[in-house]
Amino acid sequence: MTAPLLTIEDVRLSFAGVRALDGVSLTVDPGELVAVIGPNGAGKTSLFNCISGVYRPQQGRIGFDGHELLAHPPAQIARLGVARMFQNLALFDHLTVLENLLLGRHTQYDTRWWHDALWLPKSRRAEVTHRAQVEEIIDFLNLERYRKTPVGILPYGVLKRVELGRALCMEPKLLLLDEPAAGLNQEETEDLARYLLDIKEEMGITQILIEHELRFVLELADRVAVLDFGRKIADCAPHEVRQNAAVSQAYVGGGA
Amino acid sequence: MAVIQELDPPTLPGRLGYYAETRPERVALRVKRMGIWQPYTWREYRDEVAACGLMLQELGVANTDHVAILSDNRPEWLFADLGGQLIGARSVGIYQTNPPEDVAYVVSHSQSKVVFAEDQEQVDKLIEVADQTPSVTHIVVFEPRGTRDYEDPRLMTWDDFRAQGTALLAKSPHFFADSTAALDPEAPTMVVYTSGTTGQPKGALISSRNALTQSVRILQVMPVQECDQVLSYLPLCHVAEKIFSVFLPLSSGAVVHFGESIETVRADLREVSPTVFLGVPRIWEKMHASVSLKMKDASWLKRVLYEWASAAGKDISERRLAGRPKVLDRLTWWLADFLVFRPLQEKLGMRRCAVPVTGAAPISPDLLSWFHGVGIRILEGFGQTECAGVSHVNPVTQPVLGTVGRVLPGLECVVAEDGELLIRGPNVFCGYLHNDEATAATIDADGWLHTGDIGTIDDDGYTRITGRKKEIIITAGGKNLSPEKIENALKMSPYIKEAVAIGDRRKFISALIQIDGEAVGDWATRRELAFTSFADLTRRPEVDELVKTAINEANDRLARVEHVRAFRLFDKELHQDDGELTATQKVRRRAVAEIYEALIESIYTKGSS
Repeated sequence: MTAPLLTIEDVRLSFAGVRALDGVSLTVDPGELVAVIGPNGAGKTSLFNCISGVYRPQQGRIGFDGHELLAHPPAQIARLGVARMFQNLALFDHLTVLENLLLGRHTQYDTRWWHDALWLPKSRRAEVTHRAQVEEIIDFLNLERYRKTPVGILPYGVLKRVELGRALCMEPKLLLLDEPAAGLNQEETEDLARYLLDIKEEMGITQILIEHELRFVLELADRVAVLDFGRKIADCAPHEVRQNAAVSQAYVGGGA
Repeated sequence: MAVIQELDPPTLPGRLGYYAETRPERVALRVKRMGIWQPYTWREYRDEVAACGLMLQELGVANTDHVAILSDNRPEWLFADLGGQLIGARSVGIYQTNPPEDVAYVVSHSQSKVVFAEDQEQVDKLIEVADQTPSVTHIVVFEPRGTRDYEDPRLMTWDDFRAQGTALLAKSPHFFADSTAALDPEAPTMVVYTSGTTGQPKGALISSRNALTQSVRILQVMPVQECDQVLSYLPLCHVAEKIFSVFLPLSSGAVVHFGESIETVRADLREVSPTVFLGVPRIWEKMHASVSLKMKDASWLKRVLYEWASAAGKDISERRLAGRPKVLDRLTWWLADFLVFRPLQEKLGMRRCAVPVTGAAPISPDLLSWFHGVGIRILEGFGQTECAGVSHVNPVTQPVLGTVGRVLPGLECVVAEDGELLIRGPNVFCGYLHNDEATAATIDADGWLHTGDIGTIDDDGYTRITGRKKEIIITAGGKNLSPEKIENALKMSPYIKEAVAIGDRRKFISALIQIDGEAVGDWATRRELAFTSFADLTRRPEVDELVKTAINEANDRLARVEHVRAFRLFDKELHQDDGELTATQKVRRRAVAEIYEALIESIYTKGSS
C-alpha cells in the first residue's frame, strides 16, 4: 500500500455562522480518480478552495505529497503540483490557445527576467522545452485546429478543453476538476470522459472531480465521496452509491 | 506523339528502392507532428517499408494474402501499404468513417489477415465485429491511447510492430532488394473498394503495372517533378488520392505532406502551399463558399475590388481559353493579380499551385470558370477505380472547360452505340476480387472497359461526360437529363450543400435540398433570425425563400426542361451512418429516394409549390 497523495483530516470551515465544511476527512491515493458529489451548497467547491489555498479552514489539516498545504499561499500550492480546472473558465480571451497554454506553464518558468530580456541561451532552451510540452497537450486534447485562434471566439465545448489543457500544462500531480461537464452536450461530455480516463491511464495524474451529473461520475470514478451540508455522508465504490440510504436521503429527500 | 518510356523498375516498391538508392538523403515525405513539419528521407521511407514488410511476413502474411488499413492519412498508411506489397500481399484501404458493419464487410470479403487501425475508435469497431471477421489474426494500432486495458490477444501497437520489424531488418539487410526483385508487376498489389452508390462495394484489383503505366501517361500531360509538393488529405482508400500520394510521387520524386488532422486541412494547405493539388468538387465548392462568405464581411473597398477583379478575370480567362486575348488583358490581369488574386490565392494555399486538378465527381462549369477567373486554373479529369483512377485529363497547355479533356496518351477511348464510354489500355484493372461475374460484365472479350458513363468526344478528342448510364432521368415528356448537371448548378449557391434532383418518369424536375448549416446559420444570424438547431432552421419560411432565390439563380443557367420547379428541404444533414451517403460522401440517390419517398410524393401530389 502506497502512501496517500492527499490527506484531508477533519477540516472545518465556516463563514459567519454558516458551516460550509463540518469535519470533512478524505484521502486520495496516487493515480486515483475520486469524485466528490452532493446537492447544491453541500460544500464541494469550498473543499476545493481549501485544497488550493483560497480559503483557510478554521480547523483540521491537509497533507499533500509530504507538505502541509495550509502552511502555504495559493501560488506556492500551485507550484507544489496542485492544478485546478475552473468551472467558470480562467482563460485570457484575447490570447490564442497556444498563448493561454504557455501561460499555464508559468509555474515552470525558472529563468530570470533579465535572462529573457537578453534572450540568453538559457531562455531559448526554456522556450523550446515549454513549447514542446504545450504541443504534447495540444496533441493530447486534439486542439491542433485551434492553436492560433483567439480563445474569445471559440465555442464553449472547446473552451472547456482549453481550460483543461491549461491546467495540464502545469504538469500537476493533483488535478482538481470543478464541474467539467457543466454546459456540455452529450457528445462533448463523452469526449471529456474519455480525456479524463486517458489522463489517468496515460499520464497517471491523480484527479478529484466535482460533478452534479451522477451518471457521468458513476461511470468514471474509482471512488465517490458524498457531501451533504458540509459533512461527508458516504465514501464508497461507484456501484454502492445508489444503494446508500443516506445518499438517496440527501438527493431525493427521504423515502426513496 | 512521343514514344512513352515505361518506368524501370516496374513496381511501386521497386520505384521506392530506386529513389532510396539514387537520392537517399533527399526528403520524400513530411508530416506535421507537435506543430513542426518533420521530414522522412527516401532512405528512411524505404527502411520503414522494409521493416513493415518483414514484420508482416513474420506475422504469417504470405503472397496474395490481404492486409487492411483503417486509418486517416499518415505516413504509416504508406508504410503499411507498400510494406504489404513488398512481400506480394495486397493492401486494402477501408474508410475510417465506415460504420462497424461496413468495416466487417470489407475485412471479411477480402479475408484480411492483419488490420492496421488508427486509434481506439477503429479498434472498437474491429472488436465489435470480431466474430464476423475470423480471418484477422493481428490488429496493429497506430495510436494505442485508451486501449491499454483491452484484452483482445490480436492487438499490438505500431511501436512494438515497428521495433520488431526493424530488429529483423538489421539481420537481413538485403531483404528489400531481394523482395523487390522477385515482384511480378502484373500481379494485383492492392484492392480498392468502389464506393458503391448502388449495392455492396466491389473490390477492384490493381497491379503495379496498372498504377505505373498510368502515372507515366499522366506525367506526359501534367508536368509533375521532383521539386513538386503534394498534400495528402483525401482518403487514401480512394484511388484518386493514391495517384497523388503514391503513384505520381513514386514516378516523379515529388514530396508528399501529411497534415495534422482532417480538421486542419485549411491551415495545412496554407503552410504547404502545394504545387500539385487534387480536389474533389466538394472541396472546391467549399473554397468558393468561404470566399463568398468572407467577402460579405469585408470592407466596401475590398468588396468593390473583388467584384471588379473577379469579373475582369473571368472575361480575360474566357478570351484566353478561346485563344482570342485582347491587347490590354495582360495589364489588367497583372493589376487584378497584384490587388486581389495574389492575397486570395495565398489565403487558400493555392498561390504556388501549378497543377490544380479536380476529379472523382462531376463539377459545375460555373465553378470552374470562377476559379479560372481568379487565376486558379483547375484541370478537370475523369476516371474510375477500374482504370486505376484516371483515363482523361485536361492538358495544362490547352484546357477546355466543361470537358474532362483528352484520353491519356497510349489509351483508347470510344463511344459505344448506346453512348457509353469504353476504354482500353494498360491501366485497365485486373478484375474484381471474388466476383468474376461483375468482372465479366465490366471488361468485355476485346478488353474494353465499360465505364457506365455516357459521353461524347469532339473532333479534337475532348470528352464531355453527360452522366451515369444508370442514373439518367427520363422525364414524362421523354427528355433525357443528367441529374448531376442540375445538382451541380444548385450547389453553386453557398447556401446549398447537397441536392438530389428528382424527375424520372415525372412531369417536371424537382429537388431535395440540404442547406449548408454553417452558411445559412450565418445568414440567419446576420438577419437576427433566432434558431435552435439545423431542423429548426429548415422550417423557417425565410430560409425557404432564400433557397427559392438560389434555385431561381440556378435555373437561369439551366435549359428549360432542366428547370427545378419545386423543392423540399431535408430536416437533417445526410449522413453515412444513415445509409444516405457513401464513404466518399456522395449521395446514394436510390437509398435517398426510398427513405424520403413520402417527401417526394408530397411534391408531385400537391403540384409545384
